[in-house]
Formats: sequence, structure tokens, C-alpha cells
Amino acid sequence: MVGLACKCPRTRLPVGASALGAFVLCWLYVFPAYRLPAEKDIVQGVLLQQGKAWRRNRTAGTAFRKLLEDCCDPGHLFAMTKQNSPMGKNLWFDGEFLYSFTIDNATYSLFPQATPFQLPLKKCSVVGNGGILKKSGCGRQIDQADFVMRCNLPPLSSEFSKDVGSKTQLVTANPSIIRKRFQNLLWSRKAFVNSVKVYNHSYIYMPAFSMKTGTEPSLRVYYTLEDFGANQTVLFANPNFLRDIGKFWKSKGIHAKRLSTGLFLVSAALGLCEEVTIYGFWPFSVDLHGRFISHHYYDNVLPDSGFHAMPEEFLQLWFLHKSGVLRMQLEQCAEPSLQSAV
Amino acid sequence: HRAQTLTSVCLFFFFLRVKQTELFDRWKSLQICKWEMNVTAANLFKSTLSRCCNAPAFLFTTQKNTPLGTKLKYEVDTSGIFHINQEIFRMFPKDMPYYRSQFKKCAVVGNGGILKNSRCGREINSADFVFRCNLPPISEKYTVDVGVKTDVVTVNPSIITERFHKLEKWRKPFYDVLQVYENASVLLPAFYNTRNTDVSIRVKYVLDDFESQQAVYYFHPQYLINVSRYWLGQGVRAKRISTGLILVTAALELCEEVHLFGFWAFPMNPSGIFITHHYYDNVKPRPGFHAMPSEIFNFLHMHSKGILRVHTGTCSCC
Repeated sequence: MVGLACKCPRTRLPVGASALGAFVLCWLYVFPAYRLPAEKDIVQGVLLQQGKAWRRNRTAGTAFRKLLEDCCDPGHLFAMTKQNSPMGKNLWFDGEFLYSFTIDNATYSLFPQATPFQLPLKKCSVVGNGGILKKSGCGRQIDQADFVMRCNLPPLSSEFSKDVGSKTQLVTANPSIIRKRFQNLLWSRKAFVNSVKVYNHSYIYMPAFSMKTGTEPSLRVYYTLEDFGANQTVLFANPNFLRDIGKFWKSKGIHAKRLSTGLFLVSAALGLCEEVTIYGFWPFSVDLHGRFISHHYYDNVLPDSGFHAMPEEFLQLWFLHKSGVLRMQLEQCAEPSLQSAV
Repeated sequence: HRAQTLTSVCLFFFFLRVKQTELFDRWKSLQICKWEMNVTAANLFKSTLSRCCNAPAFLFTTQKNTPLGTKLKYEVDTSGIFHINQEIFRMFPKDMPYYRSQFKKCAVVGNGGILKNSRCGREINSADFVFRCNLPPISEKYTVDVGVKTDVVTVNPSIITERFHKLEKWRKPFYDVLQVYENASVLLPAFYNTRNTDVSIRVKYVLDDFESQQAVYYFHPQYLINVSRYWLGQGVRAKRISTGLILVTAALELCEEVHLFGFWAFPMNPSGIFITHHYYDNVKPRPGFHAMPSEIFNFLHMHSKGILRVHTGTCSCC
């Protein structure tokens, strides 16, 4: 209705004007005017904490996991499974306004019976792609975890393995990457199959049911990997889970059109793992020593502004770090001998 | 005896409205004589084809006959134009892989039900070059009748659309089907109409992705237009001439001797026994699309003149 009225404000001015007023009110409700702490202040706050020994707080960890379980049930709802998505079930795309889809026979057959992990997972590394990982030397420490999660098909070539490791159990893939880098897998598919070989026996976690346009490319990833007998298996993100996680963080005060993949993944990890350490989550242009860093550890391509609210997400994660729920690695990683405190 | 029959058959073909049974009778009596190639008639026919159609240069799109930047006209969607870009150009062979009269004996295998129980497999396999139409099954239960040797197999994009989801989903099942033909080249009418292009191009990607040795070729739309025009002049009036007729026309230029198997467009064999539509199923085509009987008349006519040989009975040779 609002949209309709806005299209012809000149012909029916009073309606148009009131609709515009309503629209502004809605806008302020959804995106209230708030003051984001300046980047400098955040970095300063982090620096104050440096040097203080970090200790895992098991009580806080359990409490937070309980919170996540109550809101989102990651163990059960993390991925689309035959268990949680029976045939004929109607699901709403979590990234669209008013679109739903029904699980048909063909789609249903692509789902695993249940979440295919041995839950709870023990030690998990969640690796963001922040430029702060460059020259961090954290590769070995990341790989030491039982379960390593990565975001958005990051490069793992040998030049990076010292800093980001090489082990992967789960990697997310955004349908937009499939579109941009692999022409939606409509033409040659070899390049894609070769590019995911670095992830060995891992799950490729795809938000297939977030946007309408993402469904076909995501399913095509499944078909492609099956055709080639690849080691990777596709898991489809459950839109209900993504929506619940989004609501959860919104209630904690994150204002963004959509959460970043990183925060989804950390939230999932907090629900699925006993110990979570996160790497490469640092959305600022300078590191702790004031040196400029690239946006990603592998390139310096900046994202579209206004889509994600990275600093806010960072503050939430930083708060979890301070309360001992998870450990956030921001410094370079120490040699194994000096690491006993961890 | 032979000359007599020939004249009568020829006469008969001038009056196509005669009853089917009479045609069958005449065809059967023609079988009594041993078929022999009439080199003069064949050469005359082949030279006509070389002037109208020229398969050794234009059967497929090649880098030579379709240079980069060509605006290729579709056969039926005449308003449609396909720009040959680098990506498509590099899929084309440098030049036509076959030359004029390269092969001594060719078999063009249609899919008619007449092949069932024909035991022609060995004779087909003994040919130097074998053409097949539309991904026909050549599994073990059919080999006695249809053979296995395949050098060129055509694929109708409608099959890819219907049976293989336009290759937008799984591709391995399609690849597995093609593998049955071993090293046969795959031939597609990519530029017949605009709907065919994407799926046809995808076939090339599928075979490349799976590192297959099979070549992929596309009919040159101009060749298809010229062949249709030629046969229209011979009285074949159809929305579209069949793949079989196109292959036979091409074979006549590429081979010295052309043998047709499985070309018979009637519901019963020459002895009057009912047969299935295809040798593998009995699915009837859309009516009014192809003009099969009229195509067959032409083949029988050419058989009687010694230009090619149509096999409709059981094989005993080889």
C-alpha cells in the first residue's frame, strides 16, 4: 500500500503525504537513529583489554548456548534436513519480503536425514576473512581445532596457509559468488569443481533459501559436486534458522539489513561447539598497532556500504570475548611453546 | 526383369496417390533383383548435391566457414541472429573433419521399427562410417539388430530439454548416455532455432568438463536451409525435414556408397505385418511436423535408380 501511494504523490497528494509520513515512521522504527561508536574508540577499547589474560568462562558459555538453543536450536535447525523440512512443508525466504516455497520431492531428496555432525563439536575455529589475518601466523593454531569453519569460499592456497591454515570442515558459499565467478554453473563447471578441491572433505553451506534468485545456483552446486563425485557435500542453510539468528541479534541491538555470514557462522558455532575461537573478525582499516590493513586477507575489495553493520557486529563479538563465551584472536599467534596459557 | 520393375516403380512414383499395398508389392518385387550401385546416376546426384549444399565444406560450423564476428542466421527463427564470439568460435573445429567421398561404405541408421528383428547389426557394424539419429539406444538387447558402431550421432535439443533438464541440473546421466557411443562425434542443430543454442553449447561444456574425447559439431544453419530447399524442390513438403534425411543427404556427399537402415515410415512392413514406430518404443511423433512417407518415397526412388540402398528386410550378409 505504501509503495503504491508513493508512486503517484502528485495526483493524490494528501494520500501520498500521509503515506510518506507513515513510511518515515516505519523507517525510524526499523532503523532508529543511533550513534555508532567511532572506529577509533572501538580500537582504543580493544587495546585497553590487551595484555589482560583471557579466560574461558564456562558458566557464561553454557548460558549463552542455552540462549541460542532457546531462540534458534542450531543443533536441529542449522541446515535443511529431512527431519526438520518434510516434503510439502512451506518455508519463507528469510531474505525476501513476501516469498515462500514448498519443498517438493526433488528438493527434499537433496537433504541429509539429520544435521550430519557429531554434536556437540569440541573445539571450533571460525575463520573470518579480515585483513588482520595477514602475517598473523595463526594457521597452525586454527588447524589445531577439531572443526574449522570458513566464510564465503576463501582462497586457501599455500601462500596463505601459514596465516589461515588449511583445514576446513565447513565453508559457506554465497550464491552471488556462484553467479559472479562461475556463471551460475550454467556453462563449464570444471573451474568450480577445481576451486573447491582445497576444502577437501568439507561441507559447503549455502543459503539457498534466503533469496529467490539464490535457490537454483545453490541446487546446481549440489548437482555439480555430485556429478563429479567430489569430496565436498552441500548443506543448505535453513531459512528459519537464519531468520531466528537475525532476530536474536536484532534484539541485542544490531541494525543491519542483514547479518554478515561471519556472525551467522559464529552464532552457529556457539550453539554447536563447546569451545569457540574466532579469527579474522576485525572490520577496521587499521590493526591494533595502528598499521593499515587490507579489507580481506587475500584482497582489498571493499563491500557495498550499508548492507552489513560490521562494527556493531564486532562490538557484540567483543563483548562475548570479554565475558569469556568465545575467544577472539586479534594479535599474531604465538609459537606453540608459548601458547600453553591458551 | 530389373529394367521393367525399375520403370514401373519410377512410373509409380510419379503418381504418389497409389495405394500403400501396391507400393509394398512393387517394393517387394524390386527386392528380387540384387541391388547394384549405378555409379553414373550416383555421381550425377552427388554433383547436384555438391552444387546446392556442399556438405564437405558446410555441414558443420567451422572456424573456416564461420569466422569470428559472423552474424549467423538461424534456420527457422529468421529474425534471430547469433554473434559468433570468441567463446563459441573456439568450440568450432578448424575445418570440416571429412572430405568428399572419404568413406567407402556408410550406413545411415534410422530408428524405424522395421529394424526390429532385422539382424542387421553386423552389416551396420561392417560399414566404414555409421550415422545415427537422436541418441538411439544401442544397448545389448538391440545390438543384433542395430549394431554398435557409431561415428556420428545426432542429438535433438528437445531430448536434452525433456530428459536432461536442459543440462541445468545433473549432467552425469547425459554424459553417461553419450559415452555409450564411445568416440562418436555428437552433432547438434544448435543454430536451428534460438531455443536450441544454449543447450547445444552446454553439451560441449559437459564433454569438456568430463574430459571426453568425443567431438561436438553443430549443423551449419545455411546447410540445413539449402538441404530443405533442395528436397522441397523434390516434393518433400514438411514443416521440417527429418534428421534422417539431412544425414542421408550429407552421407551421399561424404561416402561412395550409402546404405539406409531403419528408414520406413509405414505402420506395417512390406509383408504387411504391423511394426512399432521405433525399434525401441512405439511413441508416435507429433503429427504434421515431418513428412516421412514422402521422404521414404524419395529414398525408394533413389534405391531403384541405384543411388543408394534401402534395407527393409532381414540381413544375412557378413
